[in-house]
Amino acid sequence: MASQLPAASQEVKRKAAREVIDILHEIATLLNTHLDRQQLSYCVSLIENGANPEALANVIRKLREDFAQGSSEEGEEEEAVAR
Amino acid sequence: MATFNQERVEHALNELLVRIVPEDPSEDESAANQRFEAAFDFAIDELSVAGQPSVVPDINHIASLIERRVTRANDGAQQTARFHNLFSRLVSQPVLEQKWRMLYFLLQLSDLPPATDQPAPRDPRARTREPTTPSKHTSAGAQMHESPAFREAFAKPGLSQLPVNDGSPRASPRPAPEADKPEKRKERRSQETSKEQATDTEQHKALAGPTEPSLLRDLPFTLQGLSSKNLVFPSSTALKLPATLPVPLVSLLHTLAEPSLLYRGLAEFVESTEGGLVGQSFRSALGKELRSYLGLVATLEGQIRRALSQLDEAQPHNGIGKAGVTLKRCVIWTREATMGLRLMSLMVEESKGKKGGQLISLIHSFSLSHGDPYVGAFAERLLSHVTRPFYDMLRQWIYDGELADPFGEFFVSEQSEDDIREANGQEGKGGATSVWEDKYKLNEKMIPTIITEEFANKVFLIGKTLNFIRYGCGDAAWVDTYSKEASKELHYGDTANLEQSIGDAYKTTMARLIDLMANKFKLFEHLQALKKYLLLGAGDFIAVLMESLSSNLDRPANTQYRHTLTAQLEHAVRNSNAQFDSQDVLRRLDSRMLELSHGEIGWDVFTLEYKIDAPVDVIVTPFGSKQYLKVFNFLWRVKRVEFALGSTWRRCMTGARGVLGTVSDKVGSDWKKARCAIAEMVHFVNQLQYYILFEVIESSWTELQEALNKPESTLDDLIQAHAKYLTSITRKGLLGSQSTDFTGQLHELLKTMLAYKDAVDGLYSFSVAEFTRRQEHAAKIETRTAAGRWGLSEKDSLDSPDPFGPKRSSRADPDSPFPPPLLKIGDDNSSEDDVLPALRKRLATLVVDFRARITVLLGDLVHQPDHDMRWLAMVMNFNDVYQPVRRRRKVDKKREREKETPQPTTAIKTAGGERA
Repeated sequence: MASQLPAASQEVKRKAAREVIDILHEIATLLNTHLDRQQLSYCVSLIENGANPEALANVIRKLREDFAQGSSEEGEEEEAVAR
Repeated sequence: MATFNQERVEHALNELLVRIVPEDPSEDESAANQRFEAAFDFAIDELSVAGQPSVVPDINHIASLIERRVTRANDGAQQTARFHNLFSRLVSQPVLEQKWRMLYFLLQLSDLPPATDQPAPRDPRARTREPTTPSKHTSAGAQMHESPAFREAFAKPGLSQLPVNDGSPRASPRPAPEADKPEKRKERRSQETSKEQATDTEQHKALAGPTEPSLLRDLPFTLQGLSSKNLVFPSSTALKLPATLPVPLVSLLHTLAEPSLLYRGLAEFVESTEGGLVGQSFRSALGKELRSYLGLVATLEGQIRRALSQLDEAQPHNGIGKAGVTLKRCVIWTREATMGLRLMSLMVEESKGKKGGQLISLIHSFSLSHGDPYVGAFAERLLSHVTRPFYDMLRQWIYDGELADPFGEFFVSEQSEDDIREANGQEGKGGATSVWEDKYKLNEKMIPTIITEEFANKVFLIGKTLNFIRYGCGDAAWVDTYSKEASKELHYGDTANLEQSIGDAYKTTMARLIDLMANKFKLFEHLQALKKYLLLGAGDFIAVLMESLSSNLDRPANTQYRHTLTAQLEHAVRNSNAQFDSQDVLRRLDSRMLELSHGEIGWDVFTLEYKIDAPVDVIVTPFGSKQYLKVFNFLWRVKRVEFALGSTWRRCMTGARGVLGTVSDKVGSDWKKARCAIAEMVHFVNQLQYYILFEVIESSWTELQEALNKPESTLDDLIQAHAKYLTSITRKGLLGSQSTDFTGQLHELLKTMLAYKDAVDGLYSFSVAEFTRRQEHAAKIETRTAAGRWGLSEKDSLDSPDPFGPKRSSRADPDSPFPPPLLKIGDDNSSEDDVLPALRKRLATLVVDFRARITVLLGDLVHQPDHDMRWLAMVMNFNDVYQPVRRRRKVDKKREREKETPQPTTAIKTAGGERA
């Protein structure tokens, strides 16, 4: 580790990763997913590690719904979230 | 089960949730943490439970789904393009492993309005319009089926999820435990179809829709297009299937739906009453076929009833298999009928807008050119039925000559007066010609393909002839008797018989028509009479006529009276062989005056006329009569010149022995010249006349006779032959050609000749005057000598001076008591002095002019393509007296005329020498 070649390949990989994130971010914007870069990158890592994309999407949606209702009803939310 | 890297996932999830769950400053730490914890737990649970995504793991499919979603957004096109771009870049990236999952995730999270739920799938089997392959057709009724499983299977977007195993024998490709799935389903599924599927599978255990027996019971009604309990016809082109059937049953029912829908449509069509006779027969033929279909349905119903009564409740599927009647069996039994129904509905579709012969052609094309023998046989069956009204119309047309066609379906159509007038321009053809030519029209489009073109022509002719005989010739009685005895029933499929009857009818009617024309209307006599009178065939009659009329016609045109002309005509008829002609012919002969204009003399306006009335004027059309008159005019002129020259010649010849001999010293040379010139002219006129009367008219007449007497000739043939006859006369008779103006040249020639005749007459009168003068002179000398004085003295020379001698001044005469006149105005001497040179000059110019014109005419004639005209040139110029000159360009024309000098021969040597 820390030799030239792995560093270069690391660099390449990082660049590639960044590009992919860029592309995915653009697609996400196109599709109006309201995901920012950071969130998107975490989603990517989640899915790469085996998460079910549908489930994840549902989670995110639900959470958004819940927290979009406003923090004034935090109690009810908690209940709703706790099912 | 979720197979993910627990640790990493948790960490990532944590981070994500931190960002998603919004910070609320008013909240206290513990509440926020609690919320966070709750969210986290929820997420973990979710993810553990989820397992595999249920989409087909194909990235292209996902991409297309995304694209569809994007396209439906507002500015879809641009975004779609961008998406394509991005997608291609993404695909080329090596980094991500499971791009599809990512994309699918994004799709799920997308905020764009989703695509509207799958529309009712359009008929998956497209309709083809080729008439030759109707088996590819499908009914219009495949549209409405509301079974969701079916819809899904054929959904345009493709399978949105892999099919669920709902107990049908087909194994689904889905692995892993399914049994617990229904229970574990949550409402948070975003797909409606899965919900339905849940209900489906729930229901499936309980009831597989309406059972097969109940469907079977309903089937006969459905096949007749009647709504039943399970299978409802919401409209005439749709069948609603119950929503809870398993897919295989649904497909069977679809197959069975086709004949029922077709039958419904056809039944409607058969009930409708529009269209002509052929259309109605078409409908009735279809009705017959439909009735046989209903018979099949009845048998089917009987079978079903019997089978159902034997049902055994206990066995699976209620033991239907053993009873022998299942939906599948019905499908097979109705297959042939379905094909027939398909064919019929195809025909119905194609036949919209066609009628009569076109409809028959359509059906005939099915029977002729289709490969499938079933189709061919079917079409044949239909044809014999459909063509019955057609054959009725045909029969009436060829045996009665009447057109009984209320809907305009026959290929012969009657044209109204207006149409005829339109077709002919402003001036109609008038009379019987228009009846023959224009009253009926052959409509090519409506000729059905069951009869050939030639046949159709024959049929057209037969009907036309019969109609003409009935109305034009007034022989309706014969037509009626003929139709009664000859008329027979015509059928389709009986081609040999049909052809025979048509051939017979043709022969009989044509023969009858020609017979009528010849005998009742004396066509040939009239043609002969036309030739005799208008074409100057009867020489004796014309000669007498001309003699009696000539003095009359020399007077100006406006002094001619019709009654004098008629009287002369009668006189001529009585005194020639024309009196032996039939009264009918003589009645039609008449003399007439053409329109006169100023300055014309009688010769220009006189014409004979032969009246022709219907139906002979079908052959001798009004145009033909005009041509006859033209030729008559021309020939009359030529005859007139001949007559004039002939009379002058007579006078000269007889006078030469008497009067003229005495003055031959003075005017002898002139007379010789004049005689030569007149001989030339007479020769020319004779040759011209001979040519026209014999070479042209007689030969054309023999051709006409041949054509008329041909045994198989029809009226059209006669008309054509006569027209040809007239055109050849006008063309060869130097009247009609367009390139060279023979008529003008000939008229000039004739005028020249007449002028010459006048000049010669003048010479004659001069000679006679000279002769009388000399007589008087001699008589005076006699008397004076008898009185003992000098016979002649100087005074005498003064009183009656020598007109040929040089003018002597009278001053030299001492005896004269009168002063010498200074001027000799109004003096007989000078006029007599002048007359002869003037005459001579005039004669000379006329001769020169004449010769010039002849040469030009010969030049033109020699270069004609027709050998008869060349013969005329040869005959006119048999001793090469004239040098034919070819008129090339107008510029050269004058030069040619000046240049040419006819070669002198011994006959006119002196004349040649005299010419200035």
